[in-house]
Amino acid sequence: MYRIRLHGRGGQGIKTGSRILGSAFFGAGFEVQDAPVYGAERRGAAMSAHVRAARTPIRERGVITRPDLVALVDETLLQVPAANVLLGVDAASVLLLQGNGDAETWRARLALSGTVVVLPAAGERAEAELGGARCAGAAARLAGVISRPQLIAAIAQELASLGPVATATTTAQALAAYDAVAPHAGVLRESRPAAATAFAAPEWIDLPLESARVAAPAIFAAATSVEVRTGLWRTMRPEIDYARCNRCAWICSTLCPDSAIRVRADRSPEIDLEHCKGCMICVSVCPPQAIRALPERAARARELAAAP
Amino acid sequence: MNPALRRMKDLPSTHLLGAGSAMCAGCGGLLALHEICDLLGARTVFVNAASCMTLLASYPFTPFRGSWLYTAMASAPAGAQGVRDALDILSERGRLPPEQDLTAVALTGDGAATGIGLSATAGAIDRGLDFIYLCYDNEGYGNTGQQSSPATPLGARTATSTGAHGHPASKMDLFAIWVAQRPAYAATVIGADPLDLARKIDRARALKGPRLIHALAPCPPGWSFDPAEGVEIGRLAVKTGIWPLKEYVDGRVVHTHVPHPRLPVEEYLKRQGRFRHLFEPGRDTRVLAQIQSQVDAYWEQVCA
Amino acid sequence: MRRLLTGNAAAAWGARLARADYVPAFPITPQTEIIELLAQWFGSGELRGRLTLLESEHSMLTAAAAAAATGVRVFTATSSQGLLYAMEMLYAVPGWRAPFVLVNVSRGLASPITLESDHNDVLAARDSGFLQFHCASCQEVVDSVLLAYRLAEDPRVRLPALVNLDGFHLSFTREPVDLPTAEAAAAFLPPFESQGIEFRAGRPVSQAVAVLGGSAYSYFRYETHLAAEQALQAHGAIAAEFAQRFGRRHDAVERYRSDDAEIAFFMIGAFATKAMDAVDRLREAGIAAGLVRPRLLRPYPAAALQRALAGKRAVAVIDQNLSVGKGGVLHGELASVLYGQPDAPLLASYIGGLGGRDISAGEFFQIARELQDAVLARRVPPPRLLYTAGELRQMRNLQAIAAGERGMPEARA
Repeated sequence: MYRIRLHGRGGQGIKTGSRILGSAFFGAGFEVQDAPVYGAERRGAAMSAHVRAARTPIRERGVITRPDLVALVDETLLQVPAANVLLGVDAASVLLLQGNGDAETWRARLALSGTVVVLPAAGERAEAELGGARCAGAAARLAGVISRPQLIAAIAQELASLGPVATATTTAQALAAYDAVAPHAGVLRESRPAAATAFAAPEWIDLPLESARVAAPAIFAAATSVEVRTGLWRTMRPEIDYARCNRCAWICSTLCPDSAIRVRADRSPEIDLEHCKGCMICVSVCPPQAIRALPERAARARELAAAP
Repeated sequence: MNPALRRMKDLPSTHLLGAGSAMCAGCGGLLALHEICDLLGARTVFVNAASCMTLLASYPFTPFRGSWLYTAMASAPAGAQGVRDALDILSERGRLPPEQDLTAVALTGDGAATGIGLSATAGAIDRGLDFIYLCYDNEGYGNTGQQSSPATPLGARTATSTGAHGHPASKMDLFAIWVAQRPAYAATVIGADPLDLARKIDRARALKGPRLIHALAPCPPGWSFDPAEGVEIGRLAVKTGIWPLKEYVDGRVVHTHVPHPRLPVEEYLKRQGRFRHLFEPGRDTRVLAQIQSQVDAYWEQVCA
Repeated sequence: MRRLLTGNAAAAWGARLARADYVPAFPITPQTEIIELLAQWFGSGELRGRLTLLESEHSMLTAAAAAAATGVRVFTATSSQGLLYAMEMLYAVPGWRAPFVLVNVSRGLASPITLESDHNDVLAARDSGFLQFHCASCQEVVDSVLLAYRLAEDPRVRLPALVNLDGFHLSFTREPVDLPTAEAAAAFLPPFESQGIEFRAGRPVSQAVAVLGGSAYSYFRYETHLAAEQALQAHGAIAAEFAQRFGRRHDAVERYRSDDAEIAFFMIGAFATKAMDAVDRLREAGIAAGLVRPRLLRPYPAAALQRALAGKRAVAVIDQNLSVGKGGVLHGELASVLYGQPDAPLLASYIGGLGGRDISAGEFFQIARELQDAVLARRVPPPRLLYTAGELRQMRNLQAIAAGERGMPEARA
């Protein structure tokens, strides 16, 4: 069985990618399962999707904990512990990563002993919206059991309701990815589940009875949500040009839905990048246009370069 | 009106609602909520109905500096009733010092406000419950992917109104339903006009009894627009006359902003994916004219 | 002091003696008298606090739990369709860990709509997280309300409690009831302690918050289960204290002449007193019969039931309810705790008393006879609905009229 996990953000086409891959395997004669996993998060938040394909009926269910392939649409998720991108990745797993840099650097950086395949970045927009489809195309080639026509047919089927333009764009991106990883065709292997004799016994405990105050889903503190770094959802970053800011001291701060712009004592605004989700309302409402939008990835690269 | 609320710079500069909640980027409901929280302060208990805002708090994270109680989709006003009654009882017994008292705020989406929770709301108004009812109205069941609700406007495409002409019915008039019951106060607001909103919250805060704050909440995923445009779309809702800013107080409805000249409704509609089918591939002149004439008729009656 | 009270009045007196601060209410037959009495007492000042009439039971339950979560003592009551209308909140609020007492006056569920009693309404709340008390007399109703508050508010428990009484047979039936004095009740039931679960300015709390993922969910759900299990132990001590103060013993499981019995009836609710009567007649006839009646259904007193029934030759579970497609609910529940026990009795299933249908003395005797036969044959009879040929003949007459075939015999005469 092939066990494939796709990771990305809401809005990057992860679910669509998993369905394209599922349909492609199905078209190639496999039994298939595909399913997205949502948390409470919204557009920009981490999510995953799971594809299983086998030559016999599939009885496993739910989250894939021992993936043969992890396809990562957005490498910034590696910094998000809750995204659990590398869960169960071992020497036999393949990591497909959309982004910059070469495979060896990534292997070293992530301390991986298995294969890493880098899918070169294809521009912000393609990455942002078609990342799932690109990874599906690449994964199809890595498995080596899905033909180009089977991939094209799967995309046509999954995107039928979005019209011919969307289908054509997606197909082009997915095929480009399919071709780009050709040197690695077949690197993805089917794996067998662990034997019933070789397992780590669960560390079951007897849940203790605890006082109602702690054993109720109640929070006895204020504004604990600041612990949640919704800034990681961001794909675009607002940046204030303080030379142009007229210190109105209110507009961007009041109109930020997320309370993520603070007004300092000198009446200048300060963006809380830990929590800014990147809606860019501040950019569009600033009267002197003192806030501009930067792609988050470029902003981070600049920060890294500037770091000592 | 509070003389301290004349200009934008009179608005609170500190924000009480904590960042980090799970609302979508650019959420028009969260925008209104945070502006309202800033004004109401932390001596509040928000009683939440099932909606997108169910997930404002998810254990162990809450954005509130005051208190919060999650109930169910239909019964947030009844939850507010229980809290208010209990606080009153404690107060009568001398077991609640005045400084520990709270304002009860029911927080619901339009689905609860105009549908499943309407009888609980009507009951609370009828009993004269001393509470603020905050409805953020994104004109559909947003948390489940924007199906049509009674608050969905004519012509909008939703996950369940996918026909050529969009949603076939007009938006339910929640404000009028409230006003018919003669509440202490009712107002429409929008996060994109924080000053108008602040004046209304200020007025509502000073009154006792059932008080409606009905906020139009532009919804980037549900209405299909770029989150950056949320405030602009909100302003257009006001400038086109689609979202009248008004209040009911002392038995009278007063419009706090009369758009003049009114922009054509198309200026508002064409910015949103949910109305795209009215313009592409061909113009749906019948539905567009119908929407415009409803707005015209409304304002003719207001200005008559 | 003993006085004649209906079951409904006894329930209201329970709330009064418990000094309930707050009663959110909504009327439904046969519960209405409870809230009318309480409204009178709030009006006259005999009770301090407030009764608020909501617009539905769903709202009523929400207001009840919200008020309990704000730190006052809450009482409320409903019945049948009303309990089911409130069912979403009935399952939601135990997890708030804000205790209060809900009285249910049992009444059969639609369809067809009926006003008379059976237990399908209250059993629909079986898995909700409410503790469940079942009464067989008006005396037990008032006592159970007080016991329910003590147990629900116990710091180890903190779950809402439901006290059940049968419509008509208790709700509208007057019996002598020995009412505790207000002082004695207050000594038994101290003022409500919120234990910090309350809404106050300056002490922010977010209650009933969503969780993400099965692990957090499992933790919170299972903690309510552990608290309910804890309630079983706590109940023993509380019932003993009650007996000491008031001279009436209300164990989790009532055993009537069952210790030396060979066969036993097993049932809950008001008709259990009819079973006691039948036991006496059977004993007079030389048959060693007894009755075992759980008063506490949640938490389920499994060990006490195993002890009470070990060594009996055969037990008839008389279910005044029907799990459609399965049979009697209590039969299945009892079987689950007796299975595999040494000395477990044969277990027979009878469905009786649906929608207020009577269970006659003759039927109890016949059930006893079938149990004796089962012991000899070492095989239980198949489940049986208590329903006679005469009833079916009546039914045929009604059906004939409904079909337009003929009028009532009297009408034709």
